[in-house]
Formats: sequence, structure tokens, C-alpha cells
Amino acid sequence: MTLVHERTSQFLEGGRQERRQIVTPEGVPITVSLADHGARVTAFVIDLFIWLLLTLAIYIPIFSVVGYTGGNRIAVSIALFIGFIVRNMYFVYFELAWRGATPGKRLVGLRVIDRSGGPLQPSAVIARNLTREVEAFIPFGILMTWGKTAQGFVDWEQLSIALWLLFFSALPLINRDRMRGGDLIAGTMLISLPKRALLSDLVEKTAKFIFTEQQLRAYGAFELQVLEELLRRPDSADSTRVLNEVCEKICRKIEWATPVPPNDTAMFLREFYTAERAFLEREQLYGKAREDKFSKPKPLVDPNSD
Amino acid sequence: MTPSVPQIDLPIPHTSIAGKPELVLKSSQFRKGREEGWLELERLVAVVERQGVRSLTLDELQRLPILYRAALSSLSVARTIALDRNLLLYLENLALRAFLAVYGPRVSALTGLREFFRRDLPHAVRTARWHILIAALALLVGTLAGLMLTLQDEAWFSAFVPSGLSGARGPASTRADLLNKEIFAPWPGAVEAFGVFANVLFSHNSLIGIMTFGLGLAVGIPTIMLTIYQGLTLGAFIALHYNRDLTIEFLGWLSIHGATELSALIMFAAGGLVIAEKILFPGLYSRVENLAMHGRLAAQMAVGGILMLFVAAILEGGFRQLVQSTPLRFAIGFGIGALWLAYFCLSGRTERR
Repeated sequence: MTLVHERTSQFLEGGRQERRQIVTPEGVPITVSLADHGARVTAFVIDLFIWLLLTLAIYIPIFSVVGYTGGNRIAVSIALFIGFIVRNMYFVYFELAWRGATPGKRLVGLRVIDRSGGPLQPSAVIARNLTREVEAFIPFGILMTWGKTAQGFVDWEQLSIALWLLFFSALPLINRDRMRGGDLIAGTMLISLPKRALLSDLVEKTAKFIFTEQQLRAYGAFELQVLEELLRRPDSADSTRVLNEVCEKICRKIEWATPVPPNDTAMFLREFYTAERAFLEREQLYGKAREDKFSKPKPLVDPNSD
Repeated sequence: MTPSVPQIDLPIPHTSIAGKPELVLKSSQFRKGREEGWLELERLVAVVERQGVRSLTLDELQRLPILYRAALSSLSVARTIALDRNLLLYLENLALRAFLAVYGPRVSALTGLREFFRRDLPHAVRTARWHILIAALALLVGTLAGLMLTLQDEAWFSAFVPSGLSGARGPASTRADLLNKEIFAPWPGAVEAFGVFANVLFSHNSLIGIMTFGLGLAVGIPTIMLTIYQGLTLGAFIALHYNRDLTIEFLGWLSIHGATELSALIMFAAGGLVIAEKILFPGLYSRVENLAMHGRLAAQMAVGGILMLFVAAILEGGFRQLVQSTPLRFAIGFGIGALWLAYFCLSGRTERR
């Protein structure tokens, strides 16, 4: 089911946002939009940065106590160990405590959700973060040293492992739902969740202009919602110009006889919006929804049926 | 008989109040009646998002699910009667945010961990017993192959064992070398022991283990290959010691941590095989759906594997060279193996609370 307001969003916001539906336990489908790759990478980089700071905050006291040269081996061992624990616990802890968002994800406005619409299980969070080790940390770790061993020659075995693993890192690029390996295993997906505000209703109470049904039939829900978006734009010279143009077009289309005075343009459009919405909503209730100006009224019953 | 649809051109219904014509929109009326509830829900959800569910008062906590269901019903109604795009987008967004607040994970990290070790992990291991058997067989096949090949020609040893792992052991080692520098080498002290602990845990085993698991995504072929390869390495070591008449001593030396370490590798491999099976044989569901349903089981096994590697590393670094008697080593190694077996077979069989 494609909803009209989603078509309008695509038209107004340009780029196609990938949308999916999840069904809540109450049985109501909710549309979610998938997180895009840029946002995912940004969130991951922020998290990496925080992880690095955290680990450093733990390393520095350890190195200053044990000494960098003397007990070097112990210090390095402890550091490696803590790094491992911190980076795995960091993601698991925050995705559980902050309901599917690490600090990075929260800043960018991303959430981890269960793909089928159920609650996010702790085991799913553990699963999707453990595979991160394979997808990101191991190949990056190897590539950081360019596969050089301590003796200085290139370790082809390690390099080939890294390249092989990078294929798995690229999984989000090649599947429809932009899931990485961890999402596949855990049954989760990453969505973007911006906050939206409820704006005031544009419906105009007093009606100075009266439109006939024939005139209102000129448009459909798509045009209505584009008009709504234009009316919601903040006042500026540019928006006034656009409104004037739109007003002119509408007058021509519906054959509005008397010219609208320039001061009344906004008023006229709001009233037209109100009347058009009242008409279209009523039609929709009667099962005669008009998607856009091209849609033909569908006969309720097939004329060939008897 | 079909009722004909009358096409009547009616003017839009205007109700006249005080002479001025006024339009009544059902969607506007609908919004007016419910707006307050939505805004209240939005406020509660914002609090939950910022500070967690615990920061709500008892009253608010009771209101949250009621308001959430009301918002869901508003959304369903709005979809059929309203054409206000802002309203529809707002309600979808609010319903989703409220849904995530109401159905968020509600287990604290501590309770989650306890339940995990008490029930989930042993249960996962019991469920995946056939995968464990296959992984163990793969390891066994690798070991036998490594053993046979290296027995015939010790040159195979360097092919099977990476230089980092062999630690100066190889075809050139003598019996005395192996006895004094490896099997009965003196305990090097806490500092060195810890170094071995961390090195073994992080440079090799966990890498191999997690890779064995993760590569189950590639329908399990790399998983089986890596497991067989682990067996080859093990077999090559056994052959090296067999040729120098040290088999029993070596097995004792190995068992003290090996019983745990090899089980951990088998756990990782079995986890990878669970993933592979769910991709290869999806049954009634799509491959991705099926994987989502069973992937958690696999991940639980991998977490178990990490836990076991941890224990193995402590045993290897700390205790192996402290105990210098072969029978005692066997006793410890198999004793710990038996403990693992008992844990996985017996724990968490009672009903969940």
C-alpha cells in the first residue's frame, strides 16, 4: 500500500527514502525509513571516537603505574584486554540501556529495531554486536599495519583474511534492507528516527470564497498536500512569489472568474485548501479517493458484473 | 441487480453560523478531540528517550501504554479520514517513537547476563547438539589427517603450524628440547604467565574463533575449513611428539587447557554451522527471516565460546606450568572438561520464572 502522503514526501524531499513497514504487536502497520549509509558511518565513527577516548582514559593510568618500558608486556596485555572488553560492552550496554541507540546513533538520529516489530531482545543486541568484531575491528586492525608482521615482511595470510572479511563489511551495500551481517543474524535493522512536530491545522473557519464541487474536482490528494506544504512555508519574498504563481494557476484551472486581489492571495489559497480538503476527505470516506488530478472516478460496482 | 450510483452535483455542505458560512471537516474535529492526548504522549516519550522509563512517575507509567494505544488507533483512523500530511507524518512518527519506548528492551544488563549464563547458553548448546557433533567430527578429521601426514614426513609440520604458533618447535627439535622447554618448562612467574595469557587469548584463538563463527554466513564452508585446519595443527603437534616418544606427556600438557580450548573452538564452529544451516535450509520461511529467528542461538554459542577461551587462557597461562605431573594434568584437564559437560547438560532445565 503506497500512501499518498509518502508520494508527496518523495516529491518534495527529492531523493527516494527507502521505507519499510513493521507491524506492532497491536496489529497496526507503521512505516519506518531505513538509515542511510552515510548516517550509519557517521554514527559508527562517533562511537569509535568515544570508545577510543574511553580506552585511552583507562590506558593512561595503567601505563603510568606499570611503566611503559619496564613491564611493557603486561601493560600491552592489559591494554589489549581492556580494549576488547570495552568495545564489545560499549555497544551492547548502550543498545540495551538506551533502547537501541548508542551515543553515536542517538546523535545522528538512528535506532536499532526488531525487524518483525517485536521487542528488541538482549540476545539480539549481543548477536549483532559480536559480529562487529569480524566485520570491522579485525579487518581494520590488520589493514592498519598493512599485514606487516613484527619482522617486517608482508603477511599474505593476514591480508587475504582482511580482504575476505571486508566483503562482509560491504554487506549493507548489497542488500535491499541495508543490513550488515550482525543485523542479518540478530533479525534487527537500523532506522532513522527524526522527531516531527505537530504543526497547526491549516483549516480556515470563515469562508469568504465559495467553490463548487465541479471546481474542486480539478485536483487530488497529491496536489492538496503539495499546496499544504507551500502554505506551511515561512513568509518570505520568495514564498509570496510562489504562492502568487500557484494562485494564478489554480484560478486558471478551476476557471475562477473574478481576479483575486494580491492581498488576498494567502487567504484565497487557505480557503481553497480547506474546501478542497473537505471535498476530498468526504469523497475518500465514500470510497472514492482521488489520488491526484489524473485519477478517474472509479465506478463502485463493475458495470459488466450482471 | 446493481444499484446505480447517482452522480449528483451538490455544493459542499456549509453550516451557517451567524450568517457566515462555515466548513466542518471531520478530520479537524477528530484532531481537536485527540490532540491533547498526543501531545501528552509526546512529552512522556521524550522523557523516556532522554532519561529512561525509570524516570517516569507511577502515574505517568500507567498513562504511557494507554496513550500509546490511543495514538495507534488515531493513526489508523487518520489514515482513512485525514489528508493533512503534517498530521499523518506526525502521528506515524509519534506512534513509532512511542512503540519503541513501550516495547524497548526491559532487562537490565545484569539480569540479562545472569539469565544468559543460567539458561540461555546451556539451552543453546543443547539445541545445537548435532552442529556440535559435526564440528567435533571436522576437528577430529583434521587431527587425524595432520597426524598421519606429519608422521610420514615431518616437513608437513611447518606447513600446518604457522611460525607464530610453533614457538621454535619443529622437525629440528630434539626430545630433550621438547621435554625441558615445553612440556616441563619451569613456571615463568606471574608476569610472564600473564603475558602468555593475554597473547594466547587475543592474538590467535579469539581471532580464529570469531572468524569461524562469523564466516558461517558464507554457508559454512570456511567454518568447516578453519575447523579442519585447527585439527591439522593439532595433529601435526601430536605427530611431532609421537616421533619423539612423548605422546602421553604431550597429551597431558595439552589437556590441562586443551579440553576447554578445543571445546571453545567447537562451540564457535557449531555456532557458524547453525547460521549456515539456517541460510541453506530455510524451510517454510525466507532465508533472511529464518536466519533472524535462529541467529540469536548461534550468537549465544559464540559468547559461550569466548567465555571458554577466557578460562582456557587462564589455565594455560597460569596453571599449566605450575602443575608438573602428567597424571595430575590429565585429572585437571578432564575434570574441567567434565564440569563444562555437566554445566551444558544440566543447567537451566527448570521452567523459566
